[in-house]
Amino acid sequence: MATFELYRRSTIGMCLTETLDEMVQNGTLSPELAIQVLVQFDKSMTEALETQVKSKVSIKGHLHTYRFCDNVWTFILQDALFKNEDSSETVGRVKIVACDSKLLTQ
Amino acid sequence: MAEQGLEGSQPVDLKKHPSGIVPTLQNIVSTVNLDCKLDLKAIALQARNAEYNPKRFAAVIMRIREPKTTALIFASGKMVCTGAKSEQQSKLAARKYARIIQKLGFPAQFKDFKIQNIVGSCDVKFPIRLEGLAYSHGAFSSYEPELFPGLIYRMKQPKIVLLIFVSGKIVLTGAKVRGETYEAFENIYPVLTEFRKNQQ
Repeated sequence: MATFELYRRSTIGMCLTETLDEMVQNGTLSPELAIQVLVQFDKSMTEALETQVKSKVSIKGHLHTYRFCDNVWTFILQDALFKNEDSSETVGRVKIVACDSKLLTQ
Repeated sequence: MAEQGLEGSQPVDLKKHPSGIVPTLQNIVSTVNLDCKLDLKAIALQARNAEYNPKRFAAVIMRIREPKTTALIFASGKMVCTGAKSEQQSKLAARKYARIIQKLGFPAQFKDFKIQNIVGSCDVKFPIRLEGLAYSHGAFSSYEPELFPGLIYRMKQPKIVLLIFVSGKIVLTGAKVRGETYEAFENIYPVLTEFRKNQQ
């Protein structure tokens, strides 16, 4: 199954990448294995978000900028209100990057 | 509501608009030739508020907020600008798009700017008997309520298409200059009064 590398830039993905880099550098891990771990991370993130995350968040704000190119949507929102079941928070500026997961199965 | 406010503040020139009603311009479509080949993907990646999906449409769709318009930008350098409310606004918007393209490093020029279509609308504020109108102006009218609720009136001089609705709301399209829109409305207005529906 092909996956997006989208989640590697998340906090958890960055931490994983840093750790793997460190391990490769001090010789505890081969670069090939590190790559394999990252590929597994891509798969696991996709699967976890699909099957284990039930909560929904709504995001509402002023659309400052949008872009659609290479099947990727990019949105920059100003004063965005993030809302889930039990809390809400306003963020001054937020960038949303979205890919169509249907493109992977085709 | 805004149009009535405008009419109230600026008296209507009855020599130009004997009906006392001035159609409001709703959409202007213009074209211009930037006269240079464009790399659409580079434009979509660098410019803001751009969409490019070559599988569906071979142009970059770009929008600006002032004047609120949409442009279709083609690889040939031709551009279509839609959504402006006046000729000047359409030209200003087209210039702004050309400037954006220039800023991205293309030697864009501004050639052969042309207004291609003007759409106007107004409200005569009385209901209209469309069947009667269609019958007596059969050569120009097409009224098939099962297909579309409005009467389509293809005026020959000026060459303007009017959509006439029972409610008294009128849409005029096909003009290259606003005078044609106004002329078409003044031509049709006496006909509309003739087929005014008497309310029970």
